[in-house]
Amino acid sequence: MDRRAFIKVTAITGTSATLANCGNPEHQLIRFVPDEERVPGVAEWKPGLCPLCSAGCGLLVRVMEGDAEVLRGGQTGVMKMGLAKKLEGNPAHPISQGKLCARGQAAIQLTYHPDRIAHPLKRTGARGSGQFQEVSWDVALAELVTQLDGLAAAGNRQSLAFMTGPSTGQRGELVSQFLSRFGAPPALSYEAFGDEVLRRANLMSFGRSQLPTLDLPRTRYVISFGADFLGTWNSPVAQSAGYGHMRQGRSGVRATFVQLESRMSQTGANADEWIPVRPGTEGVVALGLAHVLLASGLRPANAAGRAGAVIDGWSSGLSAYTPAEVERRTGVVAARIERLARELADQRPGVAVIGGAPLAHTNGLAAALAVNALNALLGSVGEPGGVNFMPQIARPGDTTRSRGDQPPTLARMTADILAADRSPVQALLIDDANPVFTAPPAWRVREALVKVPFMASFGSFIDETSVLADLILPDHSFLESWTDARPESGAAVAVATLAPPAMRPLHQTRAMPDVLLEVAGRLAQPLSPALPWQTFDEMLRAAFAALPAPAPDADAWSSAQQQGGWWGAPAGNGLQIVPVGLAAPLKLADPQFDGAVAEYPFHFLPYPSQAFLDGRLAHLPWLQELPDVMSTAMWSSWVEINPQTAARLRIAEGDIVEVASTQGSLRAPALVSPGVAPDVIAMPAGQGHETFTRYASGRGQNPMKILAPLTEPETGALAWAATRVRLSRVGGPTGELILFAGGMAEHPNVRR
Amino acid sequence: MAHRWGMAVDLDRCTGCEACVTACRAENNVPTVGAAQAATGRAIHWMRVERYWEGEFPDARLKFRPVLCQQCDAAPCEPVCPTYASHHTEEGLNAQVYNRCIGTRYCANACPYNVRFFNFFNPIWDKPLHLQLNPDVSIREVGVMEKCTFCVQRISAAEIQAKADNTPITDGDLKPACVQSCPATALVFGDLNDSESAVSRLSRSSRGSKLLGDLGTQPKVTYLARQSQA
Amino acid sequence: MHTDSYGRFLRWAAPLVVALAAVSSCRLAEEPPAASVFTPAHRTIGSAVNDFLNIRPAPAQPFPFPHKAHLAKGIMCTEYCHESAVKGPIAGLPSVKTCMICHESIATDRPLIKTVADYQKRGIDIPWQRVYGYASESHVRFNHAPHLRAKVDCVTCHGNIGQQTVAERNVDLKMGFCVNCHKSKQAPNECLTCHF
Repeated sequence: MDRRAFIKVTAITGTSATLANCGNPEHQLIRFVPDEERVPGVAEWKPGLCPLCSAGCGLLVRVMEGDAEVLRGGQTGVMKMGLAKKLEGNPAHPISQGKLCARGQAAIQLTYHPDRIAHPLKRTGARGSGQFQEVSWDVALAELVTQLDGLAAAGNRQSLAFMTGPSTGQRGELVSQFLSRFGAPPALSYEAFGDEVLRRANLMSFGRSQLPTLDLPRTRYVISFGADFLGTWNSPVAQSAGYGHMRQGRSGVRATFVQLESRMSQTGANADEWIPVRPGTEGVVALGLAHVLLASGLRPANAAGRAGAVIDGWSSGLSAYTPAEVERRTGVVAARIERLARELADQRPGVAVIGGAPLAHTNGLAAALAVNALNALLGSVGEPGGVNFMPQIARPGDTTRSRGDQPPTLARMTADILAADRSPVQALLIDDANPVFTAPPAWRVREALVKVPFMASFGSFIDETSVLADLILPDHSFLESWTDARPESGAAVAVATLAPPAMRPLHQTRAMPDVLLEVAGRLAQPLSPALPWQTFDEMLRAAFAALPAPAPDADAWSSAQQQGGWWGAPAGNGLQIVPVGLAAPLKLADPQFDGAVAEYPFHFLPYPSQAFLDGRLAHLPWLQELPDVMSTAMWSSWVEINPQTAARLRIAEGDIVEVASTQGSLRAPALVSPGVAPDVIAMPAGQGHETFTRYASGRGQNPMKILAPLTEPETGALAWAATRVRLSRVGGPTGELILFAGGMAEHPNVRR
Repeated sequence: MAHRWGMAVDLDRCTGCEACVTACRAENNVPTVGAAQAATGRAIHWMRVERYWEGEFPDARLKFRPVLCQQCDAAPCEPVCPTYASHHTEEGLNAQVYNRCIGTRYCANACPYNVRFFNFFNPIWDKPLHLQLNPDVSIREVGVMEKCTFCVQRISAAEIQAKADNTPITDGDLKPACVQSCPATALVFGDLNDSESAVSRLSRSSRGSKLLGDLGTQPKVTYLARQSQA
Repeated sequence: MHTDSYGRFLRWAAPLVVALAAVSSCRLAEEPPAASVFTPAHRTIGSAVNDFLNIRPAPAQPFPFPHKAHLAKGIMCTEYCHESAVKGPIAGLPSVKTCMICHESIATDRPLIKTVADYQKRGIDIPWQRVYGYASESHVRFNHAPHLRAKVDCVTCHGNIGQQTVAERNVDLKMGFCVNCHKSKQAPNECLTCHF
């Protein structure tokens, strides 16, 4: 029987007719007429802006036609529309240079996430119950307007608070203008792994309150104090591009790279020399190096200028920091200190950099000042191959903020709310921040927020903070809206990234800046005269039109839309260096730790995860299944333990251990790692969400929840590396630790 | 002249950032399998970054090595395939033809690089994550093997375009997703038949070697050793 | 060689498959929930058999579209309605907007044109069904543009569609069809030319 005959037989018996009807049930949805015409199957590349961190990388978004399910006039149907398919770096962009990190690539899943909030929500159950009901935008906006009008009518305008993520562009500018016109205090920005300490140090040393830009392509020597500059810190894509060049981009010249830290980071793994150092003593090493340079006459003390003058004992040659003394305090042997100092002096230009854990101690500011002074002593500041400060475009806000004006901190706000009978914050707006997840327990953020009578979130997901909101006004995804950024580091020229929407909104969402502008106009006493824009793109247009034209026949606004931003030398001198009066020289104090050594013998070192940073990206399945490069772990949390320590405590890989601090305890699988000091327990942040979409909820443990509330005193920044813990084995493997390498067991729960 | 596509991986530039890993997933519709399946070793990564610990604390060292299909010229995966699903193309690629594959997994057993992955179930994209899928790349169903293709869809598009424009493909213009994304430019792709291409020059480097080259698989991926002074 | 073994396989397998398919009721054949592991490529035996035999329900068009009448007016396939075929892989089905470019003013009094205008008024696209195309399991990545550049005529693969009122599939686009043509034109015949 051949195929033709077979078909005949089946046709006669009628089988095939039945099959044809059964085989593919056709779910016919209405097909709407498309809004835009595009060539099917042919990609268009549109400029974009990565929203995931403050690096501000410019993107190209690959847009192709596809069928999306949309809601039109109350009816669900399918529509052909341009859909973002892939994100790549924008080759014209000075920071990303055509490249993109692993996280940035996954940002596209923010747009298509199945648990994205698709329409405004109003709370129906108790706070935190997660019970919401869908409401229209009219209802939602009316509710927000009523609340704000209520504050204004009661003469209580200063009781409006606004919490944001780090926003360097016009979005942040709009929020701050909205707040100041309304009469509310400035927005509060909280990032657990923020860089406030380093900005402050740079202001004191160099008069620039911004993160440094490392000229890696031209350097010959890099000494890094804990900075994960190839992974999670500052501008990783730009720094990685520079790193590749400094290693193999110059014929005959290969820069040397030394990393000092107490737990080997992804960046540290790339170092030529990896030097473990006692937590909190990184600044001592920096001053030890400076001491050798000064004592041996390799560099003159006054070469460091003001950066040296702010260090106690600098002018007298840092006599307290002899190599022997540094060895005693830091664990780095004296001979090594002397050799490193000579290498620094010989292999010029060189650069020192500090970031991450060394700044997250009670003495973090002094440590940063020490590294700044070392850079200044080496003559690396503002020089090729050294540390530079990216030119900045002056903003009106920069001139109005005086130095004494401390922005509000999260710890202060929650303390004030909890201390008062009636919360000083009557209405709280939250955009792109999840402090309930990332703050230490002692700040009692959740308790404080519950006391705030009205809380609205612009979030796209239900997380630990937005679940407490009364009203959720879901923002567009970054690909669906106008976005901009003015990064503070990563390039040699000033950069203002701009991206028009790459695709139409999938859901019933609205861009947060547009909502703010609309609310500003609908208030009983409208703010609109001061905020003269109908929509956010008008505001952007005004901001970009003020920039110098890139060419005589082009205007900055239209060229920025095409190429994905504006870059070049700022008009005039750009942002002026802020003159700071010299305070008394700062002494590098010993770090303070929470927990007595006897009871809590280990340093606890949480670190931003390569995939999730502080946890804000744990909801993206691509990143959950991205094997951590150091451990190859996927979908997991783990606790890193030195092999000696593990052997002493009879802990094997995968065993469940308990890590306890004065603040609480957590249980997670052990990962035995030779890259962590015997007295240090390291743990990636990011997992341990209670509620954060189907992919992250209830998965792993959050190290932040056992952190002590120690802070760096000058800035109030959380000293997240200053907690001590004890460690014990509480059970055998449960299969929670999922490793890509060597984890190929058919039955993962059976111990091999 | 026919192309012979190859890659060079400079381990002295590679930082282990894994941009290549995510880029590959995004480009090639590589599914995520979820925690339970990942725990049974069923996670699919056409591109991975291997890491090797050396020494003990405080002298511990860690080395990274991105590993993808080595596109061997004497590929062990090819002769074992009973259906010619795994076969060598004229341009030297190790093709995996999904609709010929019947899932014997012999190729995965034969491959010394562990770069072939089996679809133990139909991939699932929770709606609307499926809207991200690249329409230029097949969705592989249950029962078939899959692996790195050197982004054959990009190669094909570039060759079609070159033919339409009647101009040769310029060295460096055609990049697989991993190469395109690599921030440190550790990955370089190009035509090994063009002796002046960047990949050819790097492949001749004195630092160059083939992964498990002793096996005689003749990979078209060359690894350039990390230099170290310590 | 291949055809032989294929025929042999059919000889013993076909009756069995028919029997199995016949007993599987329609209700059962509706998609069962996806199992997490070892999901078959086809969720029902019926769909497997259909796919194996290349049986697809004839596309039911919302109303007849006379290709012939349009061609007679000198409107060429790839000039207006399927212009994407020249630019890229997909020929595409024109949206109602395309129809109305001309029918805003031409033949507006005909009942079918009124239907078309009505679609546009309601913002709903005409639910044209694809006539040609490949099942996803065939993993074919066909690209129209290079074929048109190589002067392959539409009728080569789409038969006398230009003469039809309701488009019917009357060229069987099996692999042999493609391979033979590629052979005769010395076009690449690698598996990877089409399957990736």
